[in-house]
Amino acid sequence: MFQGQRGWFCRSVSQALRQFWVDQGGMVSDAQAADFLFSCDASHPDTLRIYQSLEYTEDSATVFHAYYLAAVANAEKKNSVALGHFVLPPACLQKEIRRKIGSFIWEQDEKFQIEKHSRA
Amino acid sequence: ETDNCSRMLKYRCPGCIVVRKLLNSRNFSKLLHSCAYQCDHHKVIMEAEDKYKNELRKAFICAKRILLTPCRRRQLSKES
Ligand SMILES: [Zn+2]
Repeated sequence: MFQGQRGWFCRSVSQALRQFWVDQGGMVSDAQAADFLFSCDASHPDTLRIYQSLEYTEDSATVFHAYYLAAVANAEKKNSVALGHFVLPPACLQKEIRRKIGSFIWEQDEKFQIEKHSRA
Repeated sequence: ETDNCSRMLKYRCPGCIVVRKLLNSRNFSKLLHSCAYQCDHHKVIMEAEDKYKNELRKAFICAKRILLTPCRRRQLSKES
């Protein structure tokens, strides 16, 4: 599913989610070379570095919550999971955003348990 | 039918619909910005991030200016 794609992972992302990425053909790379930036914690120093980069200000470094991968793992139709619903904004903005649109999809932890999923 | 359409529009935008094969961390934000319509979810996130990015851009410019100010440069060379 992720054949030929490069992913960067914040250290806040669990090994199980990284493994799923690799099992599905994805490669792990540094942030500069990555097509996808994954994090589970917007305030982790690794992810903060992305938010404070020139690339981010130039609209070319969107961080996605790594629960996207869990959602894909658990979905029957893997391509039906909308990546766009897993945007992870900087921690300092989350409160304001939540006030306007309610909780983020990735805040429902129980939905994204990948451990139960048997590896393909 | 019209009801269905407006409901679609109300809840989904290109940020919701475009398939992952065409999306990544590099083009997602640009794609959202290029669309006239964003759903509430993406509009709110985009606006909040844009504000943050503007502040950061200003901070970058300030930092650059400080580094390039002649007296600051002299100071730096004295320190080293
Ligand atoms: Zn949307």
